[in-house]
Amino acid sequence: MKKYISNTILFILFTSLFYLTLLFLWGRYAPTIFKPTISYHLGSQGHLYSRLSEVKNYGDVDILFLGSSHAYRGFDTRVFQKNGYKSFNLGSSSQTPAQTKVLLNRYFERLNPKLVIYEVYPTIFTLDGVESSLDIIANDKNDSESLKMALKINNIKTYNTLVYAFMNDLFGFNKSFSESAVKGSDKYVPGGYVEKEIGFYQPSELEKKEISILDYQLENFSEIVQLVENKNIELILVYAPIPKVNYDSYINTGYFDSLMSRYSEYYNFNEIISLDDSLHFQDSHHLNQNGVNLFNEKLIEILNQK
Amino acid sequence: MLFNSIDFAIFLPIVFILYWFVTNKSLRLQNLLIVAASYLFYGWWDWRFLSLILFSTLVDYTIGRKLSVEENQNRRKILLWASILVNLGFLGFFKYYNFFLDNFVTAFSFFGTEIKASSLNIILPVGISFYTFQTLSYSIDVYKRKLEPTKDFIAFSAFVSFFPQLVAGPIERATHLLPQFYKKRTFEYSKAVDGMRQILWGLFKKIVIADNCAEFANQIFNNSAELNGSTLVLGAIFFTFQIYGDFSGYSDIAIGTSRLFGFDLMQNFNFPYFSRDIAEFWRRWHISLSTWFRDYLYIPLGGSRGGTWMKVRNTFIIFIVSGFWHGANWTYIVWGILNAIYFLPLLLTNNNRNNLETIAQGKFFPSIKEFSFMLITFGLTVFAWIFFRAENMGHAISYISEILSPSIFSIPKFTDMSRALMTIILIAIFVLVEWKGREGHFAISHIGQRWHRSLRWTFYSLIIFAIGMFMPSVESPFIYFQF
Repeated sequence: MKKYISNTILFILFTSLFYLTLLFLWGRYAPTIFKPTISYHLGSQGHLYSRLSEVKNYGDVDILFLGSSHAYRGFDTRVFQKNGYKSFNLGSSSQTPAQTKVLLNRYFERLNPKLVIYEVYPTIFTLDGVESSLDIIANDKNDSESLKMALKINNIKTYNTLVYAFMNDLFGFNKSFSESAVKGSDKYVPGGYVEKEIGFYQPSELEKKEISILDYQLENFSEIVQLVENKNIELILVYAPIPKVNYDSYINTGYFDSLMSRYSEYYNFNEIISLDDSLHFQDSHHLNQNGVNLFNEKLIEILNQK
Repeated sequence: MLFNSIDFAIFLPIVFILYWFVTNKSLRLQNLLIVAASYLFYGWWDWRFLSLILFSTLVDYTIGRKLSVEENQNRRKILLWASILVNLGFLGFFKYYNFFLDNFVTAFSFFGTEIKASSLNIILPVGISFYTFQTLSYSIDVYKRKLEPTKDFIAFSAFVSFFPQLVAGPIERATHLLPQFYKKRTFEYSKAVDGMRQILWGLFKKIVIADNCAEFANQIFNNSAELNGSTLVLGAIFFTFQIYGDFSGYSDIAIGTSRLFGFDLMQNFNFPYFSRDIAEFWRRWHISLSTWFRDYLYIPLGGSRGGTWMKVRNTFIIFIVSGFWHGANWTYIVWGILNAIYFLPLLLTNNNRNNLETIAQGKFFPSIKEFSFMLITFGLTVFAWIFFRAENMGHAISYISEILSPSIFSIPKFTDMSRALMTIILIAIFVLVEWKGREGHFAISHIGQRWHRSLRWTFYSLIIFAIGMFMPSVESPFIYFQF
């Protein structure tokens, strides 16, 4: 038995070392088709790398924006600056509450906001958070928060990518990386906003869908609300405008509205402003710059009235 | 609890430590630990159905005790039938109630009589087909006086609920497994290491092969109406490897886990896709079920001793029952009939025992003749799996019709071509390793035995790496849990 236990321990050590080494080499040199569980894209879509590089030296803000691509493509920090609000947009692609919590824990103190505006899009609460976790792992430093997030998501893709990212950080492979401000039709605007070249959506019928929120995401969401409240900072939840065809495809928006209202002050802008699907949207999800301006002005009007 | 879950990865070492370090002084305590661990393992899925296992255990234990003292043949028969009725009654109610009801209603409506009957929303208890057959084997063997009935209730409970094979086999015979609970188990290094190797290979089969194939098999079978014939052929091949990787992977993990606790379970798969005819295939596929049906159904029916009619009748009965055992659906029955049709010509011409040895024994390459027969047998098996996987008979027929259409000559279409290519490459590597190790009791049982330890450990670590790298994001349950 002694021999069995000592050999088992030795083998575990050997295989762990082997796994880490091969994972690193595999991640760097194997063709993409053979690494389905390593998804490491430095400078990926959404300019998260630039945003997280900038936030480290940004200083105090009046408003901190959180949320998915609806946030970083929906809250134009320039418009808020013009109206006297210094703001930072900490949105990221498909950001679920699990990732929002990580970003808040990392940057909340640094930005010291007076107000937090959290964009809440129903679909986000139905996602497992794997894709968004990979975005953060590749484009930000990795610490115990990343590990906690990975353990909570509990997905092999997140684990493997995190290990690979740790090793990249360790060997300093990303030090020379810099992200271009303009990528395709996207332009990064200081403060975290991403402006897209103007485009127009051609609405088409969408299938009806039901919002079925994952318990674990609601748990994270609740923790975020608690975290902000504990710091005595005002929190506003915002359902940003989406095209009417998309909005109407959700069959239980009423349930979502009532759920969000229970957590904090909540505004569903699909019911507040009237936008045109063909004129104010880029695609079935996102506003174009014309829509962003109208949406942001209305939001500022509400903030000014408070 | 799933073998491929974190829960099991924590559960197994805890039970192992308690078994060999805490309860090792007393056989009774060890058996009690196995019962407790097995009930926890099963209750992790749904604790309510533990009562079924407990009831089945109590009934068969009591009947066994009564059979030991009863000399009157008629009363002995009544006792045996009581065991059969209780066990098959559970199985019939949970698994087949809705099937019979629906077919009954359909049959009557065909003759113009409408019957009002509503189906029940019945949850199928995981593994019920496996443990009921295992306990039945006990009652039958005691009845036939092949086995002394046990007086040890704890050992008997451990035999019925033994967690490694409780939910998906191998279906053990009481004559083989029960005596192992009476003997003191001593830890054997080589047995435990061999068990670990088998667990590792089982995990590879399940996670890398079966789960990756499942993504495409599901995608293709669920959208078969929109796909061309060549894609459907690939869908059937993906399913062929999915079901083998899934079920034989489970058996490997079960057998390997048992070896860690000092038990020997029977081999359940013996490289069935390298068979040269269907008779050989059935000697190598789900061996514990095939031999169960052979011993408790086929032979009592007269086996192949009678005339041609008797042989034909018994062959059809055994294959139809085997199909029906898998599930309450006509597709399984047709799958059974199809296999009977494949098998009968071999039986009737006395060619069913031609290939008893491993293909190309002692050689790396098979002869052209062996290879051709192997390919034909594989093709027949793939064709039969279409019925097994299809949702219903209509689905199976439309699936096959599309395969037989000119679209078979078009290029296959997938939503994720590169992932499909990766899966095909993984299958090719898997087949090579299985071929290389086909003379062992599992593929990697002999590979690397003479290598230096560092090289051997590198080989095992490569398998672990492959599991980590090619594991699909979504954890899939084992297919055979539903049976």
